[in-house]
Order: sequence, then C-alpha cells, then structure tokens
Amino acid sequence: MAFVKKEITPSRPAPLSERSVIGWMHKHLFSSFYNSILTIVTLYIIYITTKGLWVWGIADAVWIAESRRECFDISIDGACWAGVIAWMDNIFYGRYPKDELWRVNVGILLLIVWMLPLWLPRVKGKIFIAITLISFYPFLANYIFLGGESSFFSQFMVSAAIVSFVVIMLNAIIGVIQGQSISTFIATRLGSSLKSEKSQRNLNLALLIIAFIIAFLWQQSWVLGEVPWTKWGGLFLTLVISGIGIATALPGGIILALGRRSKLPVIKVLSTTFIEVFRSVPLITVLFMATTMFPLFLPEGFVLNKLAQVIIAVCLFNAAYMAETVRGGLQTIPKGQYEGAHTIGLGYWGTMGLIVMPQALKNMIPNIVGNFISILKGTTLVSIIGLFDILGMLSSVSRDLSWIGLHKEPLLFGAMIFFILCALMSKYSRHLESKLSTNRKT
Amino acid sequence: MLFSINEYQREIIVLANDSNTKSQRIKPKEKFNFFHDERVRGIFYQILTVLIIGCFFWYLISNTAHNLELRGMNSGFGFLNVAAGFDPGFKLISYTPGIGTYGRIFLIGILNTLYVSFLAIIACTVLGFFIGILRLSNNWLISKVALTFIEIFRNTPLLIQLIFWYVGVFSILPQIKNSLDLSAGAEVVLLNNRGLYTAWPVPGEQFWITGVAFMVALICVYLLKKWANKHQDKTGKRVAVFLPSLAILLILPGLVFLLTGAPLSWDIPKIEGFNFVGGASLPPAFIALLVALVVYGAAHMAEIVRAGIQSINKGQNDAALAIGLRQNKALRLIIIPQAMPAIIPPMISLWLSTVKNSSLAVAIGYSDIVSLFMQTSLNQAGYAIEIVAMTMGFYMFVSLIISGLLNIYNKKVQLVER
Repeated sequence: MAFVKKEITPSRPAPLSERSVIGWMHKHLFSSFYNSILTIVTLYIIYITTKGLWVWGIADAVWIAESRRECFDISIDGACWAGVIAWMDNIFYGRYPKDELWRVNVGILLLIVWMLPLWLPRVKGKIFIAITLISFYPFLANYIFLGGESSFFSQFMVSAAIVSFVVIMLNAIIGVIQGQSISTFIATRLGSSLKSEKSQRNLNLALLIIAFIIAFLWQQSWVLGEVPWTKWGGLFLTLVISGIGIATALPGGIILALGRRSKLPVIKVLSTTFIEVFRSVPLITVLFMATTMFPLFLPEGFVLNKLAQVIIAVCLFNAAYMAETVRGGLQTIPKGQYEGAHTIGLGYWGTMGLIVMPQALKNMIPNIVGNFISILKGTTLVSIIGLFDILGMLSSVSRDLSWIGLHKEPLLFGAMIFFILCALMSKYSRHLESKLSTNRKT
Repeated sequence: MLFSINEYQREIIVLANDSNTKSQRIKPKEKFNFFHDERVRGIFYQILTVLIIGCFFWYLISNTAHNLELRGMNSGFGFLNVAAGFDPGFKLISYTPGIGTYGRIFLIGILNTLYVSFLAIIACTVLGFFIGILRLSNNWLISKVALTFIEIFRNTPLLIQLIFWYVGVFSILPQIKNSLDLSAGAEVVLLNNRGLYTAWPVPGEQFWITGVAFMVALICVYLLKKWANKHQDKTGKRVAVFLPSLAILLILPGLVFLLTGAPLSWDIPKIEGFNFVGGASLPPAFIALLVALVVYGAAHMAEIVRAGIQSINKGQNDAALAIGLRQNKALRLIIIPQAMPAIIPPMISLWLSTVKNSSLAVAIGYSDIVSLFMQTSLNQAGYAIEIVAMTMGFYMFVSLIISGLLNIYNKKVQLVER
C-alpha cells in the first residue's frame, strides 16, 4: 500500500473569480450594493457626457466651411472646426510669412535631429552632443528664424553649429553601424590608431578646422530675408519662449540653489532673497514689471524689444522655482556623500559636479520635469501683455470677421495641444526615472 | 579643506604641549598662503559679489533716475491720495469714481483678490480631498474617472481653462429675461449673462438672539462630544453623537428664532428696467475665475491627497480592516490622520499658488489687484515703480503669512513625533 503519491498533483488554475471578465467586474465594479449603484450611475454619466461630446464635436461638427455663418447653416449645434482649420497656420506659426514657413520647420527639425542621437544607446559622446546643442544651436536657430544681416560673431557661431551638427550626425551614423565614436573611426581608417594620442588629436583638430572654414564660406552664401520678431507667434513663439526658459532654468536654478546652500553669508543671503522674491509673486506681475520697468532701467537710447523683456522675465522667474527643486534634491543627499568626496580629495566644485549634483538631479527628475511642464503652461501668460503666442492666436480667431465669436473650438484645440505636449513630457520623465533608478526594487 | 587640515595640526600641537615630553617637538609651521587660503578666498568672493551687485544696482538706479527725469515722470507715493477717475467694477467696499483715491483702489483690489482666493481655497481643498479619495476607490470605473479629471485639468494651462470658462460658459448664458433659475422655480437664485443673482437675508432687529442661541447650541454639542468620548474611555461603549448634535443645532436656534417672531426677511432680486435690483450679485468674471481656480486647484489637491495616502504603508489599512473597522472608518480614523503630515505642506503651497493664480483675473477683467492697480491705475497715473513695488509687496506679504503658517505646522508635527 503506497500512500505517497508518485507524481505531483497538477496545479489548479486560479478560481474563476480571479481570471474571468465576470470575476474582474465583480471585484472591481460590483463588489457591494453601493458600489454597483455607483458604477451604474457613473456609467450613465459617462454615457451622457461622451455622447454629448461626440455629437457636438464629431458627428454634428462642421469641418469645411468659409465662415461661421456657413457653419451655422450646415449644423446649428455642432462644433465649427472649419474655423480652427482655417487658422491652423496662424495657430502654429503666428504671422510668420507664408513663404518662409519652411524656415521654422527646418529649425525645429534640426533641433529634433540634433537631439535624436541622445536616445540611441550605441552612440558615443553624448555629453558633446548636449554641450554643442546648448551652446551653438540657439545661434543657428536665431539666424534661421530671424534672418537678415548677421554680425561676424553670429556667422562664426552659425558655422560652429553647422560643423558640430555634421560631426554629430556622422558620429551617430558611425555609432549605430560600428558602435564606436567618430574619432576612433577616423584614426583606424587612416591607419594612425597606433600613433600617439597627441598626433591623433592634432589630426582631428585639423579636420575640424578645415570643416569649419568650409562651413564658414558656405554659410556666407546664405540669403535669408529678415522676419522681425513681431511676426513671430502661435505655438512657435510659445515654444521659443518656453524653450529658452527651460534651457536656462536648470543651470540658473543649480547656481541659485548652490548659492543658497553656500557657507558664504553674503552669497547665501543674496540667493535666498532672489529666490524668495520671485517665488512669492505671480508670473504676471513679473511680466508687467518687465514691460514697464525694464525700459526705465536701461540707458538712454537703448531699447530692448518686448520679446527680449518677456524672455528675461520668464528666465528669472523660472530659475527661482527651479532653484527650490534643485535644493530639495540636494537635501536628499546624505552627508556621507560629501565626506566621501572630500576624502578622495575632491574640492568644492569636484564634489558638487561629480558626486552630489548628479545624484540630486536624478532624485528630482519628476519634479524637474514637472517644473518644465509648468514653464510650458505658464508661457501662455505672455498673451496677457500682448504677445501673440498660441493663446493670443487662439483668442484672435473669435475676432476674425468671418469667424467672429468662435471661442470654444480654438480654445479646446489649444488645450488638446498642451495636453499632448505635457503628457508626453511627463511620460518621458517616468521612463527616465525608471531607467536611471539604481534602486534594486524589482 | 585646507582649513580642516590646519585645525587638525593645531590639535596635535595642543596635545604635544600638554604631555610634558622632554623631546621637544618642532612646532609644525601653519602654512598660511594668502592666495590659497579658504577663508581669504571666501571673503574675496563675497566682496567681489557685493561689488558687482552694488555696481549693477547703482547702474540701474542711476539709469532709472535719469530716465524718469528725461520723461518728466513724478515719483513718490503722493498719488495714492489723488482721486481716480475710473469705476473698478466689482467691489466689496463703497467707492465713487472721481472722489475715491488710488489708495482706495489698491484696497479694493486687495480685498477682491483675497475674497476670490479665500473662497477658491476652501472649495478646492474640499473638492480635491473628495476627488483624491475617489481616485483611490476600489471601484475601477470611479478611479479612472477621477484620474481623467485630474489629468485633463493638470495638463492644460490655467489661463486657457479660465478663458474657456469665461467666454465659453459664463458669457454665453441666457439674457436677463430668460435667466436660468437654479432654485427650481422659486426665482431666488438666478444665473444669466450678467452674473449670478441670489436672494440675500436681511436680519431684523432681534436676530442677534438667534445668533446667540446658535452659539449656545454649538457649545452644547462640543460638551456632548466631550462627554461621549469620556464615556467611551470609561465604559468602552460609544454613545451616538451625530443625530443628537444635529437636533440640538437645529431645534434650539429654530425655537428661539420662532419665539422672537422670525426677525429675518429676504431681499429678492427683481427685474427693474434692464437689470436686477436687490439681492446679492456676482459678475460672470468672478464666477468664471472662481470655477477655474477651484477646478484647477482641486485637480492638484487630489494628486496631493493621493500621494499622501499612498505614502502610508498598506499594512495600516489591512490592520484597520482586521480589527473590524469598515473601509470608510479605516480611512477616516487610521489612514488620513497619518497621511496628514505628508498632505499639509504641499496643500499649503497649493493655497499660496491659488492666491497667486488669482492674478490671472486680469485676462478676463475681474477687478483684482493686478488688473485694478497694476494695469488700470498704472496706465492712468504712471508711477510704474511704486505701483509694481506695492503690488509685489502685497503678494510677498501674503506669501510670508502663508509660509509662516506652514512653519508653525511643521514645528508642531515635529514636536508630536519626538
């Protein structure tokens, strides 16, 4: 008599209540009497809302029409998307001349292509990409967007931007195919990989200088008509202002946060005052201050245009906010990290730059991106002081004679654009956070 | 770092001097290199910063003085006593255009800002708490609906929402003659494109006795609750408090009210000519601003509440359910009290940003401080520097008070913990 089973009893599947649709619904929607009522009522409300939105926004909506009156003639209670479609160019580009729109597209495309290698894991030299992006791209973009006569300095920077763009692209292609950086690739191809490092560096430098001269000569043949900033507008202007705001907020915030935690009393007091003053007032008052008081601050005869005033105001304001976020990150770093860095002989900047700041910034990624999102959202305020950013354009639709009174549709469209941009940013931040996380919590 | 090494060396010297060793140690020289000493460098950097900032400000001030002189602009705060010629629109204190001063305009602006922010803060806190708890509901559908609400209103700019509420909802309401009746036929709460009109109570002469009775009822309820708690501590039995308290609160003031002869009448809005007369009214811009601030704030508040509650260990909830508490009681008695220290600091900064966000009123023409003082008064009177400084000063003052509140709370929480 054998009471011991020879083979393992096959495991039974999970009970039906755990894996079937009915079971899931019972657990998550109808677990109790009140829950069931709540679910049914909510379903009804959702049904009413979506049906209303569907009928208004899609089923009864007018997509092709010449004016709002025509919209009404076709459908009296549907949305009139035709107005938004007619204004689409203005919403995206403002009053930028129609023939020159390609310049905006090229500028933005360049930015995207420039940043693309940052996401490719096989590409080497990402710090170089980021540094050239921050230091040269703005000049290139400035020239492409603004055009007109450019100074020698601007030409110099534009050529540098072209050279670094070409180098980055070659580097990215070689990185993807061969998995090595461009300098090692050149060295192996030319057979000089065995020579000393110094001669390799000289070779690279020579190539760079030749490329620079070619680029400089080439860009002198560019002829771009001037498009004054007053013609800029729409989403393009919003992205320009918030892009500069985002690019300066982080470095500015880091400097201010370090200042606030400094041991030197004067620097500490100054940084704290700056941060607290800008954090305690609304952005709109800072913008009003910029437009009314900056002209008084400047020497006679020197006129700062409104766009520059606004950009300065946005940068100052956002740097103060970012400083508090960075400071929050610095506070999460245990003292042992500082002491460890001191022990291996690092000075103040070494400690901060190599040990403390990378960890602090990494801990604060969600908050930093949250800050970027609020910079993007906050940029809409410039429409109050008369710049035609995306919101300015969206509300201008209702003042156009053929679309007079068309408020809701453009605003909803703008809200959708912002929603998509912000959702993308926060999604990317979550991805980055999990990618950089060193916590071994599975 | 050099500094710390020097300290260390000094200590060695002290030790060497203390122990009376015969072999005299050579006192190591404290190397003082003027250019490589941390203290010297620190002082040098600070002086340099002060100099640069000082020069910068001196430059700005001299430019400003020169520009003011050039444009023949006056300065000083004398303009506050000058009569302002415009009508501020919505106001909480009386004001006559042409007689009232810019100082009074400033006051009206402050009161309007504080009024709308106060209402918005209370409403968005309550609504946000509610939505935050719905977000964590066991019911999948409810949780997703709350999530949608939060994501939509957090990810779109407040200004777009505000303008949408104003031009898309509250400006296209029916005309006065076809007002929407929110009180189901009683015609005491009316909504139209001129704003919200409600009946307003006018207390009679002896109404104060009812007020006193209400106070007495409140004290009774407080004592009852205290007694019930004591009773529970002693016997372990809970006496029902809620219904008796409600009865006391309703019956006592109600009886007094009827006995004194119902000294309260209602001022009901009526159409006279082209507008309503009587009752209380709020302009559409005010309602739009309030709704926008409440919805936007509530979405943020809900996220704060969710984060706070989720920061509590799940075991707390399980334990509460295990000792026989129902889910709602577990939430109220166990989870939320523990989540409060994580919720309150961000909540207070949300209040502060609600006050600051109310400045967007300028976009829809509600007469808050920015719109009245920084825009209209500045355009009419000039005095840019004074007006900007006063407006910013007001916001800084408010933020100082609110962050003071936060500090007091943080100290209290810390004391409880230790």
